Amino acid sequence: MRDLSTLAKYPFLNEARQYIKDYGPSVTELLEGLLYERSRTIGIERLDNALKNGDVGNRSLASKSDRMMEIFSYPLARMVAVSVGDTYFNRRYALGEAIHAYRNLPNERPSFLIDVSEELHINAEYVESVGSVKVFFKDYLRNAPTRYKKWKMVNRDIDGGYVNISLRDLTRLILESLRRRIEEELESRKSNKAIEKAFSSDIKRFQNMVNLHKKKMEAAPVGKLSIEKLPPCMKDILAAIQAGENVPHMGRFALVSFLNSLQLSTNEILKIFSNAPDYQEDRTRYQVDHITGASSSTSYKSPGCEKMRTYGICPVDKMDELCREVYHPLTYYSSKWKKEKNK
Amino acid sequence: MTDFNPSQKSLEFLKNKFQDYYKKNKIELPDRFGRRELAFVLFGGKGMIRHSSFNKKKDLLDFLKERVPQHVYYSSAYYQTPDAPKMQDKNWMGAELIFDLDSDHLQNADKMSYDEQLEIVKNEFEKLVREFLLGDFGFNEKYLELYFSGARGYHCHVKDPAIFDLDSNERREIVDYITGRDLIDSYIFHEHITGRKHYGDHYFPSGKSLKMPTPDQTGWKGRISRGIIDIVDEIRKSDDPNKSLQEYGVKKKDAEKLVMELSDERVSRIKDGLLDQSKTIRKFFLNSALRKTAVTLSAGETDEPVTCDIKRLIRLPFSLHGKTGLKVVKIDIDKLKDFDPLRDSVVLGDDLVKIKLNQSIDMKMKNEIFNLNEGEQEIPTYLAVFLIGRKIAHIC
Ligand code: SF4
Repeated sequence: MRDLSTLAKYPFLNEARQYIKDYGPSVTELLEGLLYERSRTIGIERLDNALKNGDVGNRSLASKSDRMMEIFSYPLARMVAVSVGDTYFNRRYALGEAIHAYRNLPNERPSFLIDVSEELHINAEYVESVGSVKVFFKDYLRNAPTRYKKWKMVNRDIDGGYVNISLRDLTRLILESLRRRIEEELESRKSNKAIEKAFSSDIKRFQNMVNLHKKKMEAAPVGKLSIEKLPPCMKDILAAIQAGENVPHMGRFALVSFLNSLQLSTNEILKIFSNAPDYQEDRTRYQVDHITGASSSTSYKSPGCEKMRTYGICPVDKMDELCREVYHPLTYYSSKWKKEKNK
Repeated sequence: MTDFNPSQKSLEFLKNKFQDYYKKNKIELPDRFGRRELAFVLFGGKGMIRHSSFNKKKDLLDFLKERVPQHVYYSSAYYQTPDAPKMQDKNWMGAELIFDLDSDHLQNADKMSYDEQLEIVKNEFEKLVREFLLGDFGFNEKYLELYFSGARGYHCHVKDPAIFDLDSNERREIVDYITGRDLIDSYIFHEHITGRKHYGDHYFPSGKSLKMPTPDQTGWKGRISRGIIDIVDEIRKSDDPNKSLQEYGVKKKDAEKLVMELSDERVSRIKDGLLDQSKTIRKFFLNSALRKTAVTLSAGETDEPVTCDIKRLIRLPFSLHGKTGLKVVKIDIDKLKDFDPLRDSVVLGDDLVKIKLNQSIDMKMKNEIFNLNEGEQEIPTYLAVFLIGRKIAHIC
């Protein structure tokens, strides 16, 4: 059994969950018990910190009670997040938990890092003689920030399906895998009535914060682009990006190549993407440059309506009169302009 | 009547021959075939029939025998509802990893014969399979299926369940690896300090050399190293090293300098992993070695390699290619070297047929050499189908 301070630092571990089951309070006790007041406060603090600073934050773990309260605050924060019920919020919170772990992990022993990896389904093996780690290439791909050149597999030593990386790099893979796991868990859980009641004012407060953020983003003008002249397909993709939904690659591809054809610069395109909750400028810039041809010699053509349909990103139910006349979203946009001029 | 329309007659002829094939031969169907989308192009039909699926093998086989499609495709993806008309309703469950190498990306392809093109693609394909898929990625041989595409290239299907759920970004990373995209030169070369001078308490590097990986290193390091050594050997062995360097795109002046510098001693230093050259020369070596050792993949519809597309349709193994009559045959990895598409994928009969050639031809098929002049000729069925399919001949 690991000591309590480890579980307090990494409350997502299965062992922490087991500890709560064996020694922790029931949900009712956690919500109402005087003893757990502190856990409740920390739980809300986790969420606030994640939203504001991108890290759920450090607290003293000196005494046994400190550690216990910290451990119990984790499921509580998660339950509240589920009740806030917003994708953007969940993502911020998941990232905050993952960053917190990431900041602590470099102090841990290799065997601990390997154990955590295993719990997160990263197939990794520590090679003691050279002090590095062998990771199955798929788990590397899934979790490495390959938008940076140095992380691309082509710039890594790989042999027989395993990528050779440092322990420090392994913590980066753990960060991503953990972030994704928490996010998926939050998205799949149902809100609990008792939580909604006990934390109604905090939940409202969080919802307001999120709405405010979204309003600010919507109001941001998007260069010379006329949003209302966009065809339904592009409007949909844009809205999804701004709401922080996970837009599949083809959708992003279609939008970026479309905007590129309208002569928007990379920076202008980036501005549109900057509203997404997990927006990372360099990553997006990399992808945009890839599509517009700024970083390679080929620039990709913006797909036509037929292709949009095969990829399932032409919202057939929202097609309007003009849609039926055109074969390309670009034609849609330019005929809207023409029609306006002729009025 | 359509009798006077040669293209109509030719089409009828192709269809008949295809029908014979589908009636007489057992077609091996892909695994989990009920979960796949199937698509067809019929002879003379406009467009593609999509979103079909078959629960029973017999139903598909009957379809092939009765409707006799010119082209048959299946989805590399598995779906919960493969015949749903909208892609998003199919419910994607995973997909094989597909590599498609075709001669249409080759430079100067139009100056080469069909054989020559296919030979180049085959070498490229072999490199992909051996060095990258089996080597660097460590796939188990039992998960790799190799096919001749029936026309101008080769397909490799990777059926390792571990990679079925890779998304298209992850697949693109694999493509970038194989094509050597974004390789950083500081990952390959390291500056190495060879001597020091000291002034008072301070040491300064007095000599620097560039350390290059050795040929036995793994991944791209070893690959680039082997590439550079090959290039150096090639240049030194050639009758006119200056000229062969210029063919690599090196300027005349640089070429002369480089040739002068490539002494025996220098070459053995390079083999030991020391490459003390100017920046331009280093760039030249890196780029040339990269071009030599990377694999070029064919682009799909979005100008992106097919590999990244997780909902791709791909020609059904064991079907006939509608423009050549050649079979999409499976190739054993060990037999790849000797595989000759114009011999090993010919499955149609050799009954003689009268056709009219639009141009003279000079080719080998099924181990027979054909030197034929323009005009009416009597040739075996398999050749007739091949030539008609490629629009070089028609039924008269
Ligand atoms: S018809 Fe074309 S322009 Fe209209 S929504 Fe569909 S893809 Fe967009």
